[in-house]
Amino acid sequence: MTFAEITLFLANGFVVSLLIFAVTLLCAVPLGLPIAFCSMSRFRPVKYVAKTIVWIIRGVPLMLQIFIIYYVPGLLFGNPIFAQIDRYILRNFDIPNDGGVLQLLLTNAGGLVAVFIAFALNYACYFSEIYRGGIESISKGQYEAGYVLGMSKSQVFKKIVLKQVIKRIVPPMSNEIITLIKDTALANCIMIPEIIKQAKELAATKALIWPLFYTGVFYLLFVGLLTILLGRLEKKLSYFKD
Amino acid sequence: MAVLEVKNICKAFGKTEVLKGIDFSLEKGQVLSIIGSSGSGKTTLLRCLNSLEFADKGTITVNDTVIFDGSRTTKRSDAELRERRLHFGLVFQSFNLFPQYTVLENITLAPNLLKKDTPENNKEKALKLLDEVGLSEKANNYPCELSGGQQQRVAIARALAMDPEILCFDEPTSALDPELTGEVLKVIRSLADGHMTMIVVTHEMGFAKDVSDTVIFMDDGVIAEQGTPDEVFGNPRTERLKAFLASYSK
Ligand SMILES: Nc1ncnc2c1ncn2[C@@H]1O[C@H](COP(=O)(O)OP(=O)(O)OP(=O)(O)O)[C@@H](O)[C@H]1O
Ligand SMILES: [Mg+2]
Repeated sequence: MTFAEITLFLANGFVVSLLIFAVTLLCAVPLGLPIAFCSMSRFRPVKYVAKTIVWIIRGVPLMLQIFIIYYVPGLLFGNPIFAQIDRYILRNFDIPNDGGVLQLLLTNAGGLVAVFIAFALNYACYFSEIYRGGIESISKGQYEAGYVLGMSKSQVFKKIVLKQVIKRIVPPMSNEIITLIKDTALANCIMIPEIIKQAKELAATKALIWPLFYTGVFYLLFVGLLTILLGRLEKKLSYFKD
Repeated sequence: MAVLEVKNICKAFGKTEVLKGIDFSLEKGQVLSIIGSSGSGKTTLLRCLNSLEFADKGTITVNDTVIFDGSRTTKRSDAELRERRLHFGLVFQSFNLFPQYTVLENITLAPNLLKKDTPENNKEKALKLLDEVGLSEKANNYPCELSGGQQQRVAIARALAMDPEILCFDEPTSALDPELTGEVLKVIRSLADGHMTMIVVTHEMGFAKDVSDTVIFMDDGVIAEQGTPDEVFGNPRTERLKAFLASYSK
């Protein structure tokens, strides 16, 4: 294999990594919000249920959660739903056989869904704690200043508190987002062909070990891009201080 | 006719009784100062008036309408609460400007959200208020770019923008460096000259003496003395007030 072919082979895997990254963010960023509100709820049962879920999900390795979500439906309920997704796609789609991204995705659709669920839940819980910290850090005076002017609770939250919260959570969220792209490598525990799985494939079939190290370049470039974008967002919010 | 009538307001936090039966009334256009040592319940009283806290007992009447009745058992709706709050304005010790908005936006935010008037008119009014507090040139600055005294003057303009019938101040100059208190007191004084009805909790005795029509001395959750500034400052009757005033004349 030429260098270009190896690069392409790994890049296909990185597209899978990026897909996990994007789907996780898309789901976890909004999902974190209701979890944060529940864990701040004044209604005790809701609060404790939310806190327990966050405790479990943050307390167990993400890899284990991927295993649980992938295997438990089959083991416990006799319903291997993710394998069924694979079978359904196999039967109903024309899967190309060119080693391209589409083939990687279609032949692993079931596992990917399991990974999406595990990642989204896991990251939503981490995000919820960041949101909660941000919301609780806003002083009571900001709320009260809004209330005495006759504003409603939702107006106070949307128009006064939210932007201050966003400003405060951008740095910790940036950290999590950068961790996320590297965490996507965990998906290879259920044979999802993300970039490191692809490199291992090369090691196994072509006896090439260096592509494994080469994957680091993909991560580094992407993290560099993320750092720039998140830094810009932070700067954009630096026009006010609180 | 009294704009505000407060009867037998009692408030406890858990076992601590903070207000133990407060009665007073306030005429339209008058200035009431509240003095008293730390922990005597001054802030709590203002918070009860502004519905940030709810008294356990007593009534609050504004323009002959009972806006708060401690004996009522039905739940207060959010809408009702908001309407009640509009009778009062409150200027906080710590300003509490909204940091992400410019000075002008701080003032127009609530009027625009509550559709008090058209956005153009709200803006025009805000600019007029800014002029009155002497900060026209700061309209487009952010709060972090202002001094404490300037921030507090913006906070006053922001409260005025909602046209409260009674404007309350909770130690408006306590968080300020001494050289900045003057500019804020000057604004409050000019409001008094314009016959704004106000309740001012303050530790500035000289100011309270000058500007008030009535002075209330609170001590341990009760009104220990009440009268004209001359009566309260010139001829204190209780030992507690004498001791309190003595601690300021040193
Ligand atoms: N939310 C609360 N929970 C419990 N206790 C409170 C609460 N708010 C106030 N208190 C107590 O009520 C008492 C009166 O407080 P308040 O703030 O009204 O006094 P103050 O006269 O404004 O004092 P200062 O001059 O220091 O501002 C204090 O003993 C205070 O600890
Ligand atoms: Mg106080």
